[in-house]
Amino acid sequence: MAIPLIGTSESIERIRELIDHVADTGLPVIITGESGVGKEVVAQNLYDKSPRKDKPFIKVNCAALPDGLLESELFGFERGAFTGADRNKRGKFELAHHGVIFLDEIGDMSLSLQSKILHVLQSGEFSPLGSEKEIRSDAWVIAATNQELEQKVEKKLFREDLYYRLNIIKIYIPPLRNRPEDIPLLLDYYIEKYSFQFDKKQIPKLEPDHMEKLIAYSWPGNVRELQNVIKSSIVMGNWEEIINDFYFKSRSDAVTSSEESARVGASIVDVFLNFKGDYSSDQALFSLKKLTKKATDRVEKEVISYVLGKTGWNRTNASKILKISYKTLLYKINDLKIKPHEE
Amino acid sequence: MDQPLKILIIDDDEHVRATLYDFLSDKKYDVTSASDGLDGLKFLESNKQGFDLVITDLVMPQISGIGLISIIKKKFPDTPVIAITGWGEYPEAFAIESQADKVLSKPFELSELDKVIKELISSKKNNM
Repeated sequence: MAIPLIGTSESIERIRELIDHVADTGLPVIITGESGVGKEVVAQNLYDKSPRKDKPFIKVNCAALPDGLLESELFGFERGAFTGADRNKRGKFELAHHGVIFLDEIGDMSLSLQSKILHVLQSGEFSPLGSEKEIRSDAWVIAATNQELEQKVEKKLFREDLYYRLNIIKIYIPPLRNRPEDIPLLLDYYIEKYSFQFDKKQIPKLEPDHMEKLIAYSWPGNVRELQNVIKSSIVMGNWEEIINDFYFKSRSDAVTSSEESARVGASIVDVFLNFKGDYSSDQALFSLKKLTKKATDRVEKEVISYVLGKTGWNRTNASKILKISYKTLLYKINDLKIKPHEE
Repeated sequence: MDQPLKILIIDDDEHVRATLYDFLSDKKYDVTSASDGLDGLKFLESNKQGFDLVITDLVMPQISGIGLISIIKKKFPDTPVIAITGWGEYPEAFAIESQADKVLSKPFELSELDKVIKELISSKKNNM
């Protein structure tokens, strides 16, 4: 039985619903999301709810092997196909017949292998290396990637036709920082799970103050990081050390992510609405009005803070410089939560 | 008087959805609309009498139009489906490969849509 999909956030509820509706279809699925969000958990849940659950679930990490080796892993080879091929070897597609083949990190696959995957998806057939005969495979293809495939398609690093073939069902798992309500549930689940695994070793008590910090943390490594944090706390016997680390970590993360967005020239939409590149799933949050308001608020806040700083927080002077009434300035200071140290 | 024919529109573009909804409601169809494939599927599954016809976009989040049509054709094989697609949004060959009964490329005339709906519904009746 797979690890259950944990969370009560709207996005996780929606994914659960989606799994229930598509698990019996056998249609190609692509699961996307940052590293550590739980893409394999979703794949396992699809498999568990499908009529294929008693057949094999074969996982292949497409980033872990060099091209030639990956090809022979996927499609197998015949004896004599290359030096060292002293026997026949069945490929993963053959082993996954009637079951699931989970192609993890598909964004890292070479273009030549992509075209072979496309061929299997189109025809349901493939040939092992060194063989002329085609073998049928009714494997359900579930792929996953933490990369933006759309961008790779634009840069001609990912075949457009394969992208469309895989994109029949798309499941995007948002990062943990966008669904903080799931954090307590994940903590509960993994604390319980690991305390069992670690011989029921006493797990240090999680105080409300700890929980608050754990929820506020940005979790750049997502659920995988959360799992590691729990394991560390069990080993160290307390939460404080780890939680205190977060403060410094979050600060350095903030610096790198702002540098990063400047470097890649992230669009203003991404910055202000905190989009993660998946506009389709974030669409409900989007409106021009909202964006304009956020952008205006941010510019106003910066300008007013700057002028207040320059005038030594003399509000009369500042309102004159800004050419707004004193009353408006007071309102804006309050509304935009402008504080003296923000100059 | 006959019951009005029931049409389900699935499109993530609010503007398209609203336009089709207004147009088809004026034509006296009983129209339901959904903003994505999953909600569309839920309507299909929960509606006991079923729909007489489905109009769906092809490029949508989560369940794409291609996937949705394939599910509809398996679970509700008698329901005709019209796929609408924006020019250049999808490789044309792939749109044709979808099992839609008719593919309309945007922009299309609403009168043309109306004509296609009538044809599909009457051929469905003839086949019954």
